[in-house]
Order: sequence, then C-alpha cells, then structure tokens
Amino acid sequence: MTFASIITYMVEPGVLRQWQEEFEAAAKRPLKQRMRYAFIRTYKPVLDDAPFRAFDTMEEYRQWCEKNLPDWLGYGRI
Amino acid sequence: MAAFEYRQAQEIRDAFKRHGVKYLFIGKSGAILLGYPDTTQDADLFIEKNAPNCEMLVQSLLDIGFQLTDQQAQEVRREKGIVQLKNGPFDLDLIFAPDGIENFDDAWKRRVDVDGFPVCDIDDIVLSKQTTNRQKDKESLPRLLSFRNWLKSRK
Repeated sequence: MTFASIITYMVEPGVLRQWQEEFEAAAKRPLKQRMRYAFIRTYKPVLDDAPFRAFDTMEEYRQWCEKNLPDWLGYGRI
Repeated sequence: MAAFEYRQAQEIRDAFKRHGVKYLFIGKSGAILLGYPDTTQDADLFIEKNAPNCEMLVQSLLDIGFQLTDQQAQEVRREKGIVQLKNGPFDLDLIFAPDGIENFDDAWKRRVDVDGFPVCDIDDIVLSKQTTNRQKDKESLPRLLSFRNWLKSRK
C-alpha cells in the first residue's frame, strides 16, 4: 500500500484552513480529553438491537448492512 | 450504555497486553487516538488472525467484562471477518480482515504507538475507509484526508 493508492479530494481553501486550525487545537489537548470529546453514544436502529453479531467476511457484513439497516444511517455502498 | 472512555481504552490495552493479544486500533477510533478531532460511537480493533491470538482475545474480553456465551466465544475463535460486541461494558467491533489492508503484519510494521495504544498508520485508516466505499465514509473522507496530510506534514 502506498499513498498513491489514496484518492485525493478538492477542498475549498477556507474550509481547509478551518480544519487545520481544528487539528492544531486538538493536538494541544491531552489524549484523555480528546477521547472525552470524541466518543458519543446514540442509538442506531437495528445495528444496536442485537448483543452479538459475527460475519464470516466483510463482504457478508456489508451486504447485511445494505439489506437490513435504514438508508439514512449511511452504511450503504455508493 | 455510556460512551466509550479513555479508561476503557486502557482496560483493552492492559488486558490485551496481559494476554499477549496482537491488535491495532483502526477506523475513526484509531484516527481519534492519532489526534483527529471528530466523533464516533465505538472502538474498532484490527485483530491478528491466528488461533492462539484469537484464544487470548476471548480470555481478554472475558476479563474486561464481555458476557460471551460458549457459542459466541467459539465464533470469536473462528477468526471471522468481523464480530460486533454489544454485550459488555462498551461496544466493540473486532475486525479480522479490514477492507483495503492486505495483511496484519504489514499494518503492524507501520503502526504508531500512542500512550501504549497500538494504532494503524493514518494511511491505512484512510485507505480502509476509502475502500469500504460507504456513503457515511464518503462524506467524512475529505476532512480525514486533510488530517492525514496535516499529520504527515508535522513529521
């Protein structure tokens, strides 16, 4: 794997500048604090309704998501 | 259930170290450990796929407090593609074959240590998200890639 494999995106300079300021600000916070801001808890229908799921392959998991989860959760492939 | 906390990440780190489980934080939780300011719900772990590692993984999960039935423990031992756990103190995704990463060994060589947490290199995290090709990842990828570029420029 090389960086050449990664697709790049066009981002407006103003947006990019704002993101970079956010990255700089985050870097000044200790890890414990960054994690407190980062991990949230919201209910995801269907996905959160079983205590355990196992899939033989990622492809099988992706297909299950597309078939069973609401579209608005964003798990569908493009 | 409450959100995942630093203390729980420590529990993973300590239990996995005690049992010798080889793993990496991956996905957005991995990016957050690297400094990416964003939100996510659960922790994603890339687990080395071999029988002894998966056996130690089961022991570690039981230590942490996951309520695995015998059948569920057996599923974890069978080195699946992905196992989703919502039967413990926090939600955890165990990924044995993430999209876009050819093998664990290569990802392990590229790993970054953050306070003792082994984390996938940001390039592996970005590539994995891109390869997945989901709507929710497409929307967040430009910002994640910008973070990748910012992070690499600091080194």
